[in-house]
Amino acid sequence: MPLSVDNECSDAEAPILAAHQLVKVYTGADRPAVDGLDITIRPGEIFGLLGPNGAGKTTTISIMSTLLLPTSGSVSICNTDGIKHPKKVRRMISLVPQDIALYPEMTARENLRYFGRLFGLQGKKLAERIENCLEQVGLENKGDKRVFSCSGGMKRRINLAVGILNKPIILFLDEPTVGIDAQSRNMILEKLLLLKDTGTTIVYTTHYMEEAEKLCTRIIILDDGKNIAEGRPRELVEDAPGCNNLQDFFFSLTGRDLRD
Amino acid sequence: MSRLRATIIKEITLLWRDRAGMVILFVMPAVLVLVITLVQENVLKVMGEANTRVLFVDMDGSRLGKAIAEQLQELGTVELVREVNGNKINQPAAFELIRQGNFRFGIVIPKGIGDALKKRAKQVVARSLDDKAPSREDDAKLPEVMVYFDPAVRGGFRSAVLSTLNRVILRVEIDEKMAFFAELLPAHLEKNIEESMGFSYPGGVAMDFPPINIEWSKQPLLGVKEEFAFRSTYAKIPTSVQQNVPAWALFGMFFVVVPMAGALIRERETGTLARLLTMPVSGMCLLFGKVAAYVGVCLVQFTIIVLIGKYLLPFLGTPSLDMGSDPVAISVIVLSSILAATGYGIMLGSISRTYEQAAMFGAISVVIAAALGGIMVPVYAMPQLMQKISIVSPLGWGLDAFHDVFVRGGTVSDVLPESSALLVFFAATMLIAWIYLFRRIRTGS
Repeated sequence: MPLSVDNECSDAEAPILAAHQLVKVYTGADRPAVDGLDITIRPGEIFGLLGPNGAGKTTTISIMSTLLLPTSGSVSICNTDGIKHPKKVRRMISLVPQDIALYPEMTARENLRYFGRLFGLQGKKLAERIENCLEQVGLENKGDKRVFSCSGGMKRRINLAVGILNKPIILFLDEPTVGIDAQSRNMILEKLLLLKDTGTTIVYTTHYMEEAEKLCTRIIILDDGKNIAEGRPRELVEDAPGCNNLQDFFFSLTGRDLRD
Repeated sequence: MSRLRATIIKEITLLWRDRAGMVILFVMPAVLVLVITLVQENVLKVMGEANTRVLFVDMDGSRLGKAIAEQLQELGTVELVREVNGNKINQPAAFELIRQGNFRFGIVIPKGIGDALKKRAKQVVARSLDDKAPSREDDAKLPEVMVYFDPAVRGGFRSAVLSTLNRVILRVEIDEKMAFFAELLPAHLEKNIEESMGFSYPGGVAMDFPPINIEWSKQPLLGVKEEFAFRSTYAKIPTSVQQNVPAWALFGMFFVVVPMAGALIRERETGTLARLLTMPVSGMCLLFGKVAAYVGVCLVQFTIIVLIGKYLLPFLGTPSLDMGSDPVAISVIVLSSILAATGYGIMLGSISRTYEQAAMFGAISVVIAAALGGIMVPVYAMPQLMQKISIVSPLGWGLDAFHDVFVRGGTVSDVLPESSALLVFFAATMLIAWIYLFRRIRTGS
């Protein structure tokens, strides 16, 4: 059960995240990065945001996680307006950025201790959470290793461990498995399924279609900031003639041309 | 509060692990203050602006040597050295020590000069009273005090030393002449009266002539008042130590902008800042955590530099650092200067796009501000135009405040204008940082 859950999110059927008509136009850009997006996520879902480069995945996840203000539209998390009350929302969420958002000169444990304190954890509770999170990502014996000396897979796992320190209601993951070995990737995916089982809602962006197909309860495919498909991966594939898997379906919508 | 403490601990941990950065932060200003102070002290000595050690060889031991020594010491800027390594110095040794550059100049009082001076003074006075006295050709040979100069000594300083010495010698000469005048006058009068009155003169009248008090010869009739034609701020000039210790301490403080900005840019580039900004912690708490950590670093840095000024530099031959008498005023200046420096670092880290940009711009802007603020060349020595421009430099504000206390005996009220300016600078830089960093990230502009 997530640590941060309070009575505002007690209704299991009510959306845990609702974004309405999200628009984001960056200064100087000639077209919106996100264009009229509506997203509804229910508790316990693993919701996948898919799309080619520049489709608006990171912008969308940044708006939903209170990092970025939309040009227009609204986002509410557990019935709390994320634009008007970002501080309140931040107590319920956690973002694992695409980059290794850690301090390389500090050990894994020191990183976790610092971020844990910022989440408001202290003393014995903090120490227990640190050990628990390290164990969850299989680094219980590597906690005192400085991050810069860790492998890519280890860094990704520490990155995830920081994200789950506060037992968030919603965990935002921006391409958490990019550039790592198959073992680490497999482990991360297993841990995400475990988190889902404990009630954590996960919003997830990835370029790996087989990963999304295996993991996500629902997905949305974005292109040019617009919603071009939404639903359960299996159902989307089944309803699309000539598509055997999510990757076929994805290419059928977005084409095979390179997006730079 | 625990979040602020966590940020401070994190920053200090990161700094501590960056050993090369620590060396730059602590060793660079310490080396600068040592080297520049010693170089400037030597320049000031050559120019005659600092206390000068003068070799003094008195081979005569007469009143003349003592009088010259006393009057040179009365100048207050000369330290007479009569022994080197426990050995008395003679004329060839003095010459050699100056030739080797160990001393700027030396004064040698030759043997017999006292007697020669008396003899010559007596002859000169006697001739002024009696035209039958021995002629000039028969005068004793003109006694000469020898002065040896290091060739590096500038012409102006050399002239000043010679002029001082001539003035001292003139006073000794007048004393000697007056003494003989007082001694010879009664006999001269007696002789004149006797010649005028002939046999009717009973004799001995002039011999009862009241003694002449020659002390009046030492009492000046005219004075010369010296005043610097500078702005009143520079009425009193700091010693090389009072100039360089606060100057390079400020330079060191402001140099933290490079690691500070770098740390902030790394957080931006690695996505750590994005993560931090989605956590239940205010942006200002994150920034003030950084500021607090670097305030601690700068305080240690300042303490090291002051200790160098107080104990190491005097050991190497400079004056000790005189810090005035108001530690509260010093604390106010130190804290406001450090805050201004850290604010600038945060602002730089916020507005720069890359580490290279911040490192280049940060270092160059600090060097320019240091040059303008009188860190490298004192403001009073700058041309008028540059003195006017110098008021834009926060390092100049800090240095001026330090001089208010160190040199001009100022108190908290005297340093309030500069400290307030530094605090306003801090507030302005933090505001710019906040606008650039958080508003830019949140709006994606």
